[in-house]
Amino acid sequence: MILIHCPYCEQDRPEIEFTYGGQAHIARPHDPAALTDREWETYLYIRANPRGLHAERWRHIHGCARFFNAVRDTVTDRFTVTYKTGEARPDGGVA
Amino acid sequence: MLEIAPLAKSGADLAVGTKPHIGAIIGRPVTLSPAAPHSRWSLRARDPALLGSALGRALPDRIGTVLDGIARLGPDEWYALLEAGTALPVLTGLPVSVVDVSARALGFTVSGEGARLALERGCPLDLARLAPGSATRTVFETVEIQVWPTAPDAFHIEVWRSFAPWLWHALAEAIV
Repeated sequence: MILIHCPYCEQDRPEIEFTYGGQAHIARPHDPAALTDREWETYLYIRANPRGLHAERWRHIHGCARFFNAVRDTVTDRFTVTYKTGEARPDGGVA
Repeated sequence: MLEIAPLAKSGADLAVGTKPHIGAIIGRPVTLSPAAPHSRWSLRARDPALLGSALGRALPDRIGTVLDGIARLGPDEWYALLEAGTALPVLTGLPVSVVDVSARALGFTVSGEGARLALERGCPLDLARLAPGSATRTVFETVEIQVWPTAPDAFHIEVWRSFAPWLWHALAEAIV
């Protein structure tokens, strides 16, 4: 069983309490009407698929119910860091 | 000769027990009993100080702790488990939410030397680190529950009403 550190509860909690929420740090465009079709497609559908560290959203749905961000290695499934929504990615990575 | 076992009970046949179910798990006694009726309230607010002053009650600071029957479940969410009949004030014009959810959940009490073992049958949380004075939402198998330790070997379990018959039977099965 994987333990995930919830940055709001400040505890390591079992993975089964969490749900995955897709890639993190994707900001919704302020004015979607001003975007070209290509830019809108990129916002909606184009996602990173790295082999290695990946910043993603998780939700502690059966706990504090909050979304937060996590950096997870897609090869080893290890979480390197979790941090609150709105905070910058602590390890400075991009994917 | 081939014997066919009777079909398993359907979910509709299950009911929450009205009397304590007494048993043991790995030789340690456990009692599962329905809890007394409670008054339950869901409290939401971005500003804890505003909610506390509007209710005229102190609220627990840390997520996962309990103060005077109110548990902090998340950054902006509290859950009040109070004596039946206790009413909280009706608030208007404030950016807070105080909702009576008394009919939403049922309470069970799991107590005895093997109480923690019985819950560990379906709950992946490290219950040994959950001391009286704390409370948290978690899961039992796939059912969402709240665990409120009331003593080192006694737990109050909150479960949504529609899941309660299944949870009762799952726990009763664990403490044959």
